[in-house]
Amino acid sequence: MFIKVKTAALSGVKGYPVNVEVDVHRGMPSFNIVGLANTTIKEACQRIKPAVKNSGFDFPVDKVTINLVPADIPKDGSHFDLPIAIGIMMSCNPGMIADDTAFFGELSLDGRLNPVKGILPLVMAVRERGTLKVIVPAENAEEAAMLSDMTVLPAEDLQQVADYTLGSRDIAAYKGKSIGEENKSVPDYNQVIGQENAKRAMVIAAAGNHGILMMGEPGCGKTMIAKRLPGILPPPDFEEKLEITGIYSVAGMFDKEKGLMTERPFRCPHHTITTAGMIGGGARPGPGELSLAHKGVLFLDEMGEFRPRVIDSMRQPVEEGVIRLRRGHGEVIFPSEVMVVIAANPCKCGNLWSSTKRCTCTRGQINSYKRKILGPFGDRIDMHVKMQPPGFDELRDAERGELRNFGLSSGQMRETVIQCREIQKDRYKGTEYTLNGKLDEYGITKYCIMDSAASEMMSSAYEKFNLTMRGYGRVLKVARTIADIDKEERIMAEHIAEALSYRVSGDYYRE
Amino acid sequence: MEIEVVSSGMPYYPALLKEIKDYPRQLYYTGNIKFLSRRCVAVVGSRTTTAYGRSVSDLVGRKLGECGVTVVSGMARGVDSFAHNGALKVNGMTAAVFAGGVDVCYPPENKSLMEKIAERGVIVSEHPPGTVPKKYSFPMRNRIISGLCEMTVIVQARNRSGALITAESAMDQGRKVMAVPGNIDSEYNLGNNKLIQEGADIAVSADDIIRALGIRRKVHEDMGKILSSTEYQFYELLHNSGEMSIDEVCIAMDKPAGYVNRIASVLEMKGLIFSDMGKVFLANR
Repeated sequence: MFIKVKTAALSGVKGYPVNVEVDVHRGMPSFNIVGLANTTIKEACQRIKPAVKNSGFDFPVDKVTINLVPADIPKDGSHFDLPIAIGIMMSCNPGMIADDTAFFGELSLDGRLNPVKGILPLVMAVRERGTLKVIVPAENAEEAAMLSDMTVLPAEDLQQVADYTLGSRDIAAYKGKSIGEENKSVPDYNQVIGQENAKRAMVIAAAGNHGILMMGEPGCGKTMIAKRLPGILPPPDFEEKLEITGIYSVAGMFDKEKGLMTERPFRCPHHTITTAGMIGGGARPGPGELSLAHKGVLFLDEMGEFRPRVIDSMRQPVEEGVIRLRRGHGEVIFPSEVMVVIAANPCKCGNLWSSTKRCTCTRGQINSYKRKILGPFGDRIDMHVKMQPPGFDELRDAERGELRNFGLSSGQMRETVIQCREIQKDRYKGTEYTLNGKLDEYGITKYCIMDSAASEMMSSAYEKFNLTMRGYGRVLKVARTIADIDKEERIMAEHIAEALSYRVSGDYYRE
Repeated sequence: MEIEVVSSGMPYYPALLKEIKDYPRQLYYTGNIKFLSRRCVAVVGSRTTTAYGRSVSDLVGRKLGECGVTVVSGMARGVDSFAHNGALKVNGMTAAVFAGGVDVCYPPENKSLMEKIAERGVIVSEHPPGTVPKKYSFPMRNRIISGLCEMTVIVQARNRSGALITAESAMDQGRKVMAVPGNIDSEYNLGNNKLIQEGADIAVSADDIIRALGIRRKVHEDMGKILSSTEYQFYELLHNSGEMSIDEVCIAMDKPAGYVNRIASVLEMKGLIFSDMGKVFLANR
């Protein structure tokens, strides 16, 4: 007797549909799972047999063969327990029907269903194939119900699922909580004293998705500035929210209380992180920090302390927006479209720029530190903001509660960012580009059009500031964003002038 | 590289140097030895410097170079290198006195500077070619630097800097010593400020040094003519304080950062200011 049950499996953070084929024949009693199943799945027989028996059903004393189709992709995950169990039970109980339903869930020995990781991308995979009804462990129901067109049936145990497929008892479809309420946990930029220069740079960086490097002595406010960035980014649209939530689901970091992630992620990995932690990896590849920051912000605090190899490994993923990990069985792809924000001290001890503290670094240390910050990865950062701690006057004024007329709040900044992104969306409609920060050489020549005064300024800046070809392109990209903020179609001299002030430079630093 | 020798009896042996009591009997040199027969001023200071020290050395080097004065220094890191560079920038004359042979580059990272000086200035030493500089040869070298010059300018020196040895030998040799004042909360300026305390002439502006040599320079053309009103406002602000952070300029001008940054870039390209470390500085004109 041949049975087919629908389910799905994970590759990276994406799911793909899988059919569980069950064949029960007369012969020596045995239980075999084929289709490149890993240990978790092979162990399933030890769980399924007692779970089926303890639910009051018979387990066939026959030769049982399970095939997971497609059979050439390695599969992992304990969520196969339920579809396999159902398949076996169907082979003994001809009354059970499960054609339009996909199954996910891990079994306890007593037949109870345990929650599994990555349910959102798994459900999305069967949804793409047109299966709109799923049975999931009750604890995963909230997550699956984020897809509003799905009928999500939460089940407590195997007995309940069996009754449902026999048609003897119905399961009420789970209705998700209302979603869309914004989480307001991000602090506001108007709490930052001074640093208007850095705030302006953040608006530009957020508007055009430019990588940004903040440099300044310890305590000048780099981290404060970075932490507030998610508050000025435009909210993700629904598809993006699903994508973000899916990644967290696979990583086992889904928060049932919060439900769908309505905000862009802000990841701030510690500088002791390994390459695998950053780009993802392991024998069964899981998402790294870069993927957890997908569609959001990756903040590298104390860039100088990260391992050079880790920084190196990020170069390609950040440029391409995807991470390709090659494993023995093939390629696993993780998404990594992030906005990179870097904070660094000017030197190893941090006091190089200080007017009050003494720098204890040697010349060699300063040079090697600089190489590390402005090395191959730093070379791909569009903007460089150099920061000084706020002056005493500013602190005093802030204490008195005086607000300056240009002290920007997150709300104002966010408005600018959203308007600027709209302009870019219109311009890049139907092209491969999305945001100014992602323009390549061809995109720069095509979209960064300057008026005559601007190109004159650009050519004299090229000489005056010793710009490299890459540096030239970066200034143009940033100028494009500034022009968009000013709602100008062509880049004008003033936009170039401002972009030049954020250029990456190490002139005096080099000395 | 052609290395030549001039001994104390020969016509191109620098006249001022011969006046000191322990003058070297012969000088090895490469480049144009005649530069040392012109008016010479030594510009010296510490190897470790602040942006201020570098900026002043560059400025003094350029001012002297523009006036046709030979800038003499030791091509050490920091102040010395910037002074040489300043003079070279304006195609002025410059001379480097080495503590080793004239073909031994020290510090090694100054290789390209050394080539420029040999080509467009002169490198001299009392040691034969190939001599590697020893720790004790630097103070000895310093007496030659001051001995070649009618005046020694200390730009920035820490408390026990070698530049102070040069100042001391200049005084022993009866030459003029000028020191550039620095902010008193930084230990980088302790040496030069102490010199002032002890009676060295104070260089309040770069023109002071030129004036002390008895050379007259015309005042720079009116900034108002070449700058727009906002640019002038910015420049004037900076002129009064020397250095400001961008945020301070924003507050003083009551303008947003984006606007201030635009003006800063324009002024920087005009060569009037330079920016670094999140601050803007008055450029050396």
